[in-house]
Amino acid sequence: MISFLEVIDRAMSGRYCKEQDFTMKALVPKLAEVVNKYGITYDAGTPVPCDDDLADRVFQAGFELYRDVGLYCPDSQRVMKFTEGELLQALKDCPPETILGEGKEQRILVPRRPDCETPPWCWLGALGAPVSTEELYSSIMEAYATCLPLADSITAPSLASFNGRAVRTGTPLEVIAAMRVTGLGKDALRRGNRPGLPIMNSIATAGSDVAKIAGSSFGLNAWDAWIVGHTAEFKVGYQRLNEIAWVLGAGGGLVAECAPILGGYCGGPEGVAVANVAYLLSGIIAMQADALLTFPIHFNLGCTTPRQAIWAKSVSVQAMTRNSHLPVFVDHYAAHGPMTEMFFYENAADVISSVVSGGHITATGSAKGTHVDHFTPTEPRFSGEVAHGSAGMTREEANQVVGRLLERYESTLVHASAGQTYEECWDIQRKQPKPEYAELYEKVTGELAGLGVRLA
Amino acid sequence: MRGTAMEELQADLKRAVITADEPLAIDAARQVVAQGGDLLAAVEQGLSAGMAVVGEDFEKGERFLPELVSAAETFSVAMTVLEPEIGKAGGSLKRSGVALVGTVAGDVHSIGKDIFAMLLRVRGFQVHDLGVDVRMGDFVEKADELDADLIAMSALLTTTMPSQREVIDTLCELGVRDKYVVMVGGGPVFQPWAEQIGADGYADTAEEGAELAVRLVAEKRAIRSPFEPPRGSS
Repeated sequence: MISFLEVIDRAMSGRYCKEQDFTMKALVPKLAEVVNKYGITYDAGTPVPCDDDLADRVFQAGFELYRDVGLYCPDSQRVMKFTEGELLQALKDCPPETILGEGKEQRILVPRRPDCETPPWCWLGALGAPVSTEELYSSIMEAYATCLPLADSITAPSLASFNGRAVRTGTPLEVIAAMRVTGLGKDALRRGNRPGLPIMNSIATAGSDVAKIAGSSFGLNAWDAWIVGHTAEFKVGYQRLNEIAWVLGAGGGLVAECAPILGGYCGGPEGVAVANVAYLLSGIIAMQADALLTFPIHFNLGCTTPRQAIWAKSVSVQAMTRNSHLPVFVDHYAAHGPMTEMFFYENAADVISSVVSGGHITATGSAKGTHVDHFTPTEPRFSGEVAHGSAGMTREEANQVVGRLLERYESTLVHASAGQTYEECWDIQRKQPKPEYAELYEKVTGELAGLGVRLA
Repeated sequence: MRGTAMEELQADLKRAVITADEPLAIDAARQVVAQGGDLLAAVEQGLSAGMAVVGEDFEKGERFLPELVSAAETFSVAMTVLEPEIGKAGGSLKRSGVALVGTVAGDVHSIGKDIFAMLLRVRGFQVHDLGVDVRMGDFVEKADELDADLIAMSALLTTTMPSQREVIDTLCELGVRDKYVVMVGGGPVFQPWAEQIGADGYADTAEEGAELAVRLVAEKRAIRSPFEPPRGSS
């Protein structure tokens, strides 16, 4: 595989291009061309496709898209391009497994395949959703360690304020917040008797490179992992390249993130599926990642659970996991929040479709992951149980189950309920859901079992 | 010019926008000018009607952002032919207003902002897109320079939302807050935040936001002066 220095060279000396021309004259027409050339067609009646040929065509289309279009660096206004030979070599050379965690929590992250029985890696927690105070940050992190036995790693919330000050990206407040949450998170996991559990979204609070790098030196280890995100669509600026340079130098695990937007420049579900594959290649070669994290998301609904998004996610994850050995994580953002019935229907459909397609799971973004304090350990616990229960389910069976779940929730997404906050529906001291939430959980999981959902 | 011929040219302009056919748009616009056709009707019944179709299809999920952008570019190309002639004839286009849009400082997310900007164009706004990671001062200074009706700020991160407040606070500090309709949006932005920081508008979706923008700007203009010429008229 080409070196990261070579990637930097191309970011600094690739072909000059105006940003909007890259999107509208290079990406958009090429994406339309390959969707047509490879015959990629969305089928609303099959939210979880089980057509290997379709998955492989999606992969070929994504490969051709990335080979011909490349990746844009807005800071240099240059396009990073990689040859077919370089991409094929990178697919061979990318790491098939990564060791994360320490002591009793050490695990090996391995690739999965569609329909496979290997339990998915469960990266559980808040998906970077905003938490209002340091006190609640510590509390929820300890609760994750205590209440999520299926968690292989943690996804922390993002701290919105401290000392009465709102955290602001690009200011010293962000740097201080990033340094504080590192210590708070590690202390909380120690209190929960799981000090070796890796925090893999280090550091959710940090939006800038300087905050992420500064915060990392306050207690993170190489066996944690760092997310570095693409900007939609197909852009990576110097801040993200700075972060990669630091993570590679520190010997840490690196997860390349992407979120192709359904309804945005990728267009509909076919374009999103193909773009998602192209992002896998970008993660491997431009970001030199150990895993991919993806979440095709609806531009208006702000969640990953609409029918078109589930189809695009499912077929593209099948494409990736059939044609490469890089582990693929999928983020799950539900429109509904804690203490709502619909959250469970949405999340079950989303998680099942990821697992049978060959993905690992990152969960759970409840209430779109955007409402302050709207998360509890109950939602990621549920996601983990569904994920383990779905390992080994066939895509054909999953398609039936997901179809039944979609019928229950898809009409409710437009006016979804954010539900209740952590303090409203959880007993924070005893670290358990309040009785009303526990009753709702029992009731809904019983109904879901009747629809074919398996819980571990 | 015969009514039928003009109607055919309007239909061509409408179809050109819907199909993003720039050569057809230019040709039809030139024919309207050459044949002494109704320039304002060409814009409103032709180009704007085409944008309305594309906008409606987008909102139904039948078209996507690239088609919206291409339609807007086709509209703009045709306007390079029609707009100078309208000016020469002493006419003025109906505009919903002048809108300034951007993603706030520290935030490089653009697609939600791009969609909102396009939907404003569909509704007749003259849109100035400042891009992403826009400094507070750029919003304030550009709004003054353009005599904007609307300032619309996007933030996709909880930690960049405070920049929306900073812009509004600065407008207040300068004593110019009441000159503008200020709207805020983005994934983590909700109505209580909009109220807390003193924004005029927020909506759950881009479509609802664009509708709200039209209404708020119209209300503001009516209050300011019923006799004042609308901003953005040409």
